[in-house]
Amino acid sequence: MIEVDGLTKHYRTRVAVDDVSFTVHPGRVTGFLGPNGSGKTTTMRCVLGLTRPTAGTATVLGVPYRDLDVPMRRVGALVDPRARHPGRTAHAHLTALAQSNRLPAYRVDEVVDLVGLGAVAHERVRGFSLGMAQRLGIAAALLGDPEVLLLDEPVNGLDPEGIRWVRELLRELAAEGRTVLVSSHLMSEMEDTADHLVVLGRGRLLADVAMADLLGRHASVRVRSPQLPLLGAALHRAGAGVSLEADGALRVEGLDPAAVGDVAFAAGVPVHELSPVVASLEAAYLELTGDDVEYRAGVA
Amino acid sequence: MSGVLRSEWTKLRTLRSTWWCSAVYLLVVAAFGWLAAATTSSAPDAGAAVGVALIGFAFGQVVLVVLGVLAVTGDLGGPMALASLAAVPRRTRLLAAKTAVVTVWAALLTALLAAACVLAARTLVAVPGGVSAGDPAVLRAAGLQVAGAALVTVLGAGLGAVLRSTADAVGLGLALVFVGPPALALAGGETASRLSQALPALRVGEDAFLAVPTSWPVGLGVALTWAVVACALGAGLLERRDV
Repeated sequence: MIEVDGLTKHYRTRVAVDDVSFTVHPGRVTGFLGPNGSGKTTTMRCVLGLTRPTAGTATVLGVPYRDLDVPMRRVGALVDPRARHPGRTAHAHLTALAQSNRLPAYRVDEVVDLVGLGAVAHERVRGFSLGMAQRLGIAAALLGDPEVLLLDEPVNGLDPEGIRWVRELLRELAAEGRTVLVSSHLMSEMEDTADHLVVLGRGRLLADVAMADLLGRHASVRVRSPQLPLLGAALHRAGAGVSLEADGALRVEGLDPAAVGDVAFAAGVPVHELSPVVASLEAAYLELTGDDVEYRAGVA
Repeated sequence: MSGVLRSEWTKLRTLRSTWWCSAVYLLVVAAFGWLAAATTSSAPDAGAAVGVALIGFAFGQVVLVVLGVLAVTGDLGGPMALASLAAVPRRTRLLAAKTAVVTVWAALLTALLAAACVLAARTLVAVPGGVSAGDPAVLRAAGLQVAGAALVTVLGAGLGAVLRSTADAVGLGLALVFVGPPALALAGGETASRLSQALPALRVGEDAFLAVPTSWPVGLGVALTWAVVACALGAGLLERRDV
């Protein structure tokens, strides 16, 4: 459980986070979305006690992070893949972190194997690629087998295989009842990973919504018929929003596929195609941010 | 706390820079000590003979400043600070553990070197009555050297915490302990000598190398004050800082 309440962070010349409140619940993956510079990283660093908020509070498991005595047993974090000393080996880096929280030495070998760095564990991290550095950061986050995980852009720099691995890992961790908050600036990345979304734009909270609700809200139905005008009129009378697609199909909003089929049957119109169109998260996200007048005004 | 101390020892010993610094320190101080003792045929008493053999610490302290600074800036001076402070959010505790570990390491190396220097004086310098390891003058000279080396390391760590940049902290540290005291001594005049005495020179006390001498309790007090102030300032800034 992560609770952010009225969080505000001002830097000298700009407002990074502006009165943001949300709660991250256990048992599901919460995607933390927003364009670059929208305040995701600052928010996460405030939750981890690395950055001091100007106003508001952030707590993990009910307490401020800095009050946790051995935090890695309860909260795991990936803040920045560069957060390691280039001259130290992966194994030494993880050992030092484990010792600082009195974690047993065998956990180091376990997480090294879990993230697939076994072959390079005793090499200096100077030569690591971004993908390997991300895996090392994820290993550090998992060291204490924590019930809360915060990962800032964990798939940045990973290859497709690595991205799929992170996705499955996050879903597994959430299924075990842990609280998982994972940020990304790529909407498509979250589509198959997150159950819930918290969206920031320009430091403000734009949405705190279940993935299914967000996608459902933007879902539509595609329907094709030889008697298009008749069907269009019938759907319009049924209260649906109807528009003509470029390829001659109708795009129907506000009715589910079954209702559209029933309307067509009642009107005696033959139907040649009837398919639900699931909105992509990207489209839903753009619509969401586009609707936010203040956000757009800020951009202009 | 014990976990943090173990973690800091792991951090210190898993960096090559630690071993390079330690090797250079041992080599410089021992070589200068034996050379100085070998070129000194006789001394009036055991304290003077040992004082000659300890001359290498004047140069060796450069390495101690670097060692102390690197222990802090290597961990808190860059992105690594994010991982270290997320693991140990009690920041003053983290800095204290870091400083303690590197200081104990420097003190151990210095004790080893001081023993070697006493041996050099005993073997190579002719002293009426000889140089006995149990002689209070000998023990005091060696003990002061260990205490002075420990305090210079603490100062280096404190400066690292204040400035966060390796180059800045090493530069300021060297100005304070290595360049400042002799430069002010050479400048002459009442004010300059007072300032020279107020700087933390490693050769604490009356046999201050190239600096204006004071009594050893004053020299030790000055070094202690600088070290404590630098660390307190460093801890205060670290607690407040956003990383």
